[in-house]
Amino acid sequence: MKKSKRTISLLLLVVLLAGALSGCKGTKSDSGKIEIELVQYKPEAVKAFEAIEEKFNATHDNIHLTIDSPNDAMTILKTRFIREDNPDIIGIGGDVNYSNFVDSDMMMDISDFDGLDTIKQAYLDIDKNLEFVPEEGVYAVPYMANAAGILYNKDIFDEHGWKIPNTWSEFIALCDEIQKAGIQPFTFGFKDTWTCLAPWNAIAVDLAPADVCQQVNGGETTFTEEYREVSERMLALLPYGPEDPFAYNYNDACTAFANGESAMYTIGSYAVPQIKSVNPEMNIDSFVFPAAEKAEDNSLNSGCDLQFSVMADCENKEAAYEVLRFLLEDENIQIYIDDQTAVPCKEGDFELPSILDGMASYIQEGRMKDYQDHYYPSEMAVDAQIQTFLMKKDVDAFLKKFDTDWIRYNRDIIRKVEEYNKNH
Amino acid sequence: MKNTSENKVNWPVTILLIAGLITIAFPLYLTIVIALKQPSEMTTTISGLLSLPKTFSLANFKEAMEVTDFWHSLGNSLLLTGVTVTLSIVLHSLIGYAIGRNRGKSKFYNFIYLYIVSGMFVPFAILMMPLVKQTAQIGLANRAGVVLCYVVFYMPMNVLLYSGYLKNIPIALEEAACVDGAGTWKTFWTIIFPIMKPMHATVAVLTALGTWNDVMTPLVIMSGTGQNTLPLAQLNFQTQFGTNYNLAFASYLLALLPILIFYLICQKQILNGVVNGAVK
Amino acid sequence: MNNKSKNDKKRAFLLMTLPIVALFFCFNTLPLIKGVIYSFTNFKGYGQYDWVGLRNYIDLFTDSRVGGSYWFTFKFALITTIVVNVLSLILALGLNSKIKCKSFLRGAYFIPNILGGLVVGYIFNYLFTYILPALGQKMGIPGLSSSMLSNPKTAWLAIVVVCAWQSIAMNTIIYISGLQTVPEDVYEAGDLDGATGWKRFKHLTLPLIIPFVSINMVLTMKNSLMVFDQIMSLTKGGPAQSTESISYLIYNNGMSGGQFGFQSANAVVFFIVIVIISVAQMSITGKKEEQL
Repeated sequence: MKKSKRTISLLLLVVLLAGALSGCKGTKSDSGKIEIELVQYKPEAVKAFEAIEEKFNATHDNIHLTIDSPNDAMTILKTRFIREDNPDIIGIGGDVNYSNFVDSDMMMDISDFDGLDTIKQAYLDIDKNLEFVPEEGVYAVPYMANAAGILYNKDIFDEHGWKIPNTWSEFIALCDEIQKAGIQPFTFGFKDTWTCLAPWNAIAVDLAPADVCQQVNGGETTFTEEYREVSERMLALLPYGPEDPFAYNYNDACTAFANGESAMYTIGSYAVPQIKSVNPEMNIDSFVFPAAEKAEDNSLNSGCDLQFSVMADCENKEAAYEVLRFLLEDENIQIYIDDQTAVPCKEGDFELPSILDGMASYIQEGRMKDYQDHYYPSEMAVDAQIQTFLMKKDVDAFLKKFDTDWIRYNRDIIRKVEEYNKNH
Repeated sequence: MKNTSENKVNWPVTILLIAGLITIAFPLYLTIVIALKQPSEMTTTISGLLSLPKTFSLANFKEAMEVTDFWHSLGNSLLLTGVTVTLSIVLHSLIGYAIGRNRGKSKFYNFIYLYIVSGMFVPFAILMMPLVKQTAQIGLANRAGVVLCYVVFYMPMNVLLYSGYLKNIPIALEEAACVDGAGTWKTFWTIIFPIMKPMHATVAVLTALGTWNDVMTPLVIMSGTGQNTLPLAQLNFQTQFGTNYNLAFASYLLALLPILIFYLICQKQILNGVVNGAVK
Repeated sequence: MNNKSKNDKKRAFLLMTLPIVALFFCFNTLPLIKGVIYSFTNFKGYGQYDWVGLRNYIDLFTDSRVGGSYWFTFKFALITTIVVNVLSLILALGLNSKIKCKSFLRGAYFIPNILGGLVVGYIFNYLFTYILPALGQKMGIPGLSSSMLSNPKTAWLAIVVVCAWQSIAMNTIIYISGLQTVPEDVYEAGDLDGATGWKRFKHLTLPLIIPFVSINMVLTMKNSLMVFDQIMSLTKGGPAQSTESISYLIYNNGMSGGQFGFQSANAVVFFIVIVIISVAQMSITGKKEEQL
């Protein structure tokens, strides 16, 4: 008997140690408040969200809001989903992850949320298009949009009297001229593969149909057909960049641009805070990527950069709605815009950041198309494929692989679409 | 003649080896120098990168400590490593003893031995994803879960070491104790456990080095729960250092210092432990 | 010994063993089985999933990315094992000869091994991106003047360098203890036969330390096949997906890429491969030892 007591006490020791280690984390709802946890995926906006969080908690007695802005949030979110430890609200981009989450019934239908009426229809449509097969209901509140194209150093442009190009030939001519003036036209951060997607998307919206991925899924066309020109123009940019574009990452490239080492930078508006953190005085403006030969064919590359969804298993729907309502209040939106150089998805008069001046007319006219990569499955790693292509410079091989990989990674979706089309 | 050559110091080899130390020292020197500099002192020329800082300031370290929540991460690393090592020594020596003493005469224990030792071949990659789900389901997506994982991951190696070491301990010792009326448990705690001290040291060193530097287990089990270990904090805050390499290097240096200091103090024991483990 | 105390003893041993075996089962065998089960589904890690039979396994053999990761991992592990063992044997011979400040040198050469792979990777990342190119340009060596990490042809070599830097330390220590087992009179006998230098090493030293060579080979091979931290901090699998190790791919695509099921299948195959290699390695080195 004595011996088994020893085993039991030993086991107890293990359990106690385990308990002591896990003891710290627990529900903090000691004050009887409803806890709402929001995880958003833009770590660079952590300051804006801290301000919003503080303001919310100061004005609400019955709800306590926690906003997390972790690095590499998508991995953390998916790991938490695997653990079935879901937050109440998630703030993510309108991309293929969103499509997958909707498809897996992870999100709550929020069509009864009153704040939806104030959102611009264009952005609600963009989200609707992201669903693999049209679902009933609304699953996200578009919050901020961003725009990608070309950022340029206004001081360098003014000094040399260079004009904004409207067509591809004008654009290439400008690049030649900049190079002749002894200035490097572009900076690239292609060591981080995702930065390859920025110019890729901006070119693709000008040259390929907006719904090219759906068309391919429906078997109407191939990427070899639609992306050839896109690939060629992408390749044509390389001679105007740094000697070894694959040596530097996004941060390095932002620093180089901020320090005036290049005249232009093919990236989205989201890079501006990072650039300004290096050189706060910098004079940056932007223009739409002129990849088409006719000026009227060009469109602005813009999509939902940040949108909020309530998770399906959220227990306090009303409290979550209250948080969403608060986020959509004009002054809170303004906090975010001032911090992050973004375009709000809500109707109303907001002070837009001056660096979007060059794109403003497109925004007003609604000449916008969503990022094509928002439809690419993340496990296909199109960004890395583009990086490979830029190194090997083989258009045919790249496009062929794109087509075969696409079918392989989208098999389940294509089947789903076929089934849907059959039944509707 | 032979005697003189035997006592003679081999100077060319000594010099070569001292020169070779530069491969060890250079990255460490680089880390220290960059950690102490300010961004304005960083130039793209090689001499600018490698020169000593003009002024001595600990500002980078202070900021890096704040950004990575250094003391908290350090505490977690110490806690995880400490508890893992303690549990490993107690549990693994216990089962090592039971297996080692019975393996020769019992098929059952021989099977258990092979079963546990074959766990050495299981790569973490295959356990990773189910473990994440499983630990979360039983409420162990926290430090306790990480410790339990470690105790299991190091079990094959440690059981091998303990039961191997047991062969050197004469069974007569236990039989004598048994005659004196001591039970199996008492015999283990009073006789076997103390006698296995050299192996405890080896197990402690090997397990501690492994857990202290491990990234993957806490990464998948605890990420997003607000708990960091020292290496995990480096991974999580990497993007926040952005362009400020000086700050980043200060933080790297902070992450390396605890184990470096520990090594300087217990160098002999650590080296002995490592050799023991590998040779057995 | 009477029957009662014998039974008591038996029970005590069982009580020592079973709870710990249960723990081992829960955190090793159970997840292993679950991993095998998931490998037959198209599970994303969350939401609903379907059984897909052997599709994941069939896909594995046609997936060029998985193929690439196996090619990289094996090329990397093989080269690292060779480089590390050759260099650490040389280093061990040096450290075991009659030199000044022996214990200081031995201690100093072990330092890289105690440092964490992730942070070491970050430091070397800077070294490869900024210091080496700057050095290369200054000295006019074209091969060095651009970052090793940005070229798919050289990036994997950079990872070999970093991993070797760290694991040479451990192997050297093991080789030193091996060299110390060689009795002095063997050399004395060799001296009489006129064996010196390389000849003496090849015919006298090496055969005697073969067990240590095999330990080191197995250790390095196993560690290099599972390389993860260095990939995470140096290249994240790039450039052009040329340095994706199997562990990295499983983590990256399985956890964040929504390929939980598919990467489980990959992990199962990886497991089988590891078992085959380990068994093969042990039986080969076992035979060698028998011959001696």
